[in-house]
Amino acid sequence: MGAIMDQYVILSCLLFGIGAIGFLTRRNALILFMSVELMLNAINLMLVSFSHQRADMSGQVMVLFIFAVAAAEVAVGLAILISLFKHIKSVDINKFNLLKW
Amino acid sequence: MDIYFIIFAIMALGGALFTITAKDALPSALGLLTVFIALSALYLHLHAPLIAIFQVTIYAGAILVLVVFVIMLLMTPDEKLEAAQKNMAYRIMGAVLGAYLTALTVVGVKGISELISANELPEGFGHPGLLGDLFFKKYLLHFEMASVLLLVALIAGIYLAKKRI
Repeated sequence: MGAIMDQYVILSCLLFGIGAIGFLTRRNALILFMSVELMLNAINLMLVSFSHQRADMSGQVMVLFIFAVAAAEVAVGLAILISLFKHIKSVDINKFNLLKW
Repeated sequence: MDIYFIIFAIMALGGALFTITAKDALPSALGLLTVFIALSALYLHLHAPLIAIFQVTIYAGAILVLVVFVIMLLMTPDEKLEAAQKNMAYRIMGAVLGAYLTALTVVGVKGISELISANELPEGFGHPGLLGDLFFKKYLLHFEMASVLLLVALIAGIYLAKKRI
């Protein structure tokens, strides 16, 4: 049982790390967005594998809530991105400097 | 380690690496699709059939289609973006921070996974009926709050798309 657990935990940590590296190093706002999705998915995998180990289905319920949050995040985030694009005509995050000084 | 896990883990990791290294956003979205499908297969392995189905319908179906739609809408052919940040310090710091975060989570979560006691799976674990039971009894309030959240996101999306902000 423990071995099954460990392989899933390590896979999900690796996916989370890849998402974090992508978020910190890319400059295309859309790819940043997809990196966030990757991190959310890694957390989902970890929750499901913990739920399997504990034999407790609450973990799967939590995953469904994360689905709802991810859907809301995508809807609002992409709408913000589109209205930013209307102003700046670019998806380069280095050009989104309205709030910098 | 069984062959099923290895195949889909390699598929997920490859897709994830492709997502963050692809030059354009559209191939990157296809890499993300690979990750979603592989994870859905892994959920089946973990006795979570409903989550696996929702992974395909919500993530690969709804969310990814929305992302691809926006990619098509926003990508102007004359804008050629470099793949990574131009500033070298950004790249190095990002890679170091990401690797550090990964190592930290592996160590921390492995510790937790040793603490968590392994229970025997009960009869019918992961059955959608049991999940619905939990949803509408134990987590009813959370369920309603999630629907309010979705409503707020809906209104915000309409507002942002309509108004000239």
